[in-house]
Amino acid sequence: MNASRPTALAPAPAHLSSNREESMRHLPAEARAAFLRFQAGGDAAGLDPVICAILKDFIPRDPAVPLAELPGDTRLIDDLGFDSLAITEVVFFTEDLFGINITNEEIMQVRSLDDLRGFIRRKVARHPAS
Amino acid sequence: MPPLPVITGLGFITSIGQDRPAVVRNLRELRHGFEPVEFFGNPDLPVKVAGTVKGFSFPTPNWRDWRWPEHFAVDRELLRGLAPHGVYALCALQQALADAGLAATQLTDGTTGLFCASAGSPFLLGNFLDQMHATRGERGNPMGIISSIAGTLNFNLAAHYKITGAVCGFVSACASSSHALGYAMDEIRLGRQQRMLVVGAEDMTAESIVSFSSLRALSNNPDPATASRPFDRRRDGFVGTGGAVALIVEDAALARARGAHIYAELVGWGQAGDGYAVAASHPEGAGLRHAMLRTLADARVNASEVSYVNAHATSTPAGDHSEALALRAVFTATGAKPRISSTKALTGHGLSLAGAMEAAFCALAIDEGFIPGAAHLEEPDPVCAGLDLPRTSLAEAPLFALNNSSGFGGSNVCHLLRRPT
Repeated sequence: MNASRPTALAPAPAHLSSNREESMRHLPAEARAAFLRFQAGGDAAGLDPVICAILKDFIPRDPAVPLAELPGDTRLIDDLGFDSLAITEVVFFTEDLFGINITNEEIMQVRSLDDLRGFIRRKVARHPAS
Repeated sequence: MPPLPVITGLGFITSIGQDRPAVVRNLRELRHGFEPVEFFGNPDLPVKVAGTVKGFSFPTPNWRDWRWPEHFAVDRELLRGLAPHGVYALCALQQALADAGLAATQLTDGTTGLFCASAGSPFLLGNFLDQMHATRGERGNPMGIISSIAGTLNFNLAAHYKITGAVCGFVSACASSSHALGYAMDEIRLGRQQRMLVVGAEDMTAESIVSFSSLRALSNNPDPATASRPFDRRRDGFVGTGGAVALIVEDAALARARGAHIYAELVGWGQAGDGYAVAASHPEGAGLRHAMLRTLADARVNASEVSYVNAHATSTPAGDHSEALALRAVFTATGAKPRISSTKALTGHGLSLAGAMEAAFCALAIDEGFIPGAAHLEEPDPVCAGLDLPRTSLAEAPLFALNNSSGFGGSNVCHLLRRPT
């Protein structure tokens, strides 16, 4: 059981990198590319892959149909099984990624996938990630 | 006849093995689970050895970076609320339930409870608080508290397994999971529950272990083969470890009715405070002596009937000295001479995990018919005069095995296990 080399038990200082870098690090390639396009040119309309990737990360159960193919009126809580804690995690992640603040009142207005897409587009249009 | 708690399932994620056969083999053959480690990427730290948990990796606080052996099932949804030791605990509990022949659906009717013990996750809590300081309180991971504070094990496991019986966490440092097991015995003896899941776990991270360097409690010996040597004259501190151990404890009548294998009966437990100091043990082991005597009285067993003692001895100069005196007072002074060893020589000191891990080792010793030897012991401390510390494992099946634990503040807890009748 003895290794000849010491096992490194030095946590990478992930919490010292910027919140955005840390958030982006695990996004799938397509979502990263969409986010980089948005950063370069403010293409908020092209953020859908990012939103899908965030939801997929926190969705309690994988839906039968890929998220991108679900109807826009699919409800986060009633149809996709999100609970208040999972929604809070989506919000926290989104805030870090886009460098925005989202209030509880704003969260309460978001019920469906289309609500979420529209909300994020409007929000980041006012606070473009730089 | 009051209900008798018995052990019907065991799960191990330890430095010396991650399933029962591996743990038994390493206990019998006295193979340790230590590796050279470099904490905080700092080669200048004097602490260079730990009881690593092989195949698990938690390189960052981000759960997306975590890895575990493929044969364990860890739900992504659950993972987000877990600390590293929560992942160990989930794997150990899955193993223990399978070992006991229980399905998750059999745990939800209110007759099953869950008692857990860990110190929380300094690794995740530190990260969470760093983030909070950096944003002056404006930002924090929603799962930060759930995943990091002491109690994280019971929060997560109770919700995941839909436990509707008694749910509680125990915090008495290195006696924590011994308290969990003792009170689990009481739940069954009092007829409150028919089955208890008992889980002890700790992170195996720099934050959890190097913290004890500040107390000068860790061994600075860089040799994995001798760094942990309880009761040896040259011992210089403990070697840290993490992991998880789960025990399924049931009323004997229920266990027999469903044809479960019984590893051992839990026939008594006891506890006593030192009333002495926050960290150091009582110089004569007064609390531990009382805890052992109360355990024997609870079980109505004489000291002379005890065949094996799994000592708490962590390999610190002061702690082992106190325990040796306590053992002499309980056993040697009455003419009793049980076999004694500290399996921390092999595993390292698992802190909150230690009591449950070593109770499980006692159950294995009883079930498999052997006594683990006092590994790495070359020159017994003269204070151990009269104590029987076998250097090799013995093919002797203990009838009664006593498990000792001591924690900060002088909290001492013991259990007595009996070979099934």
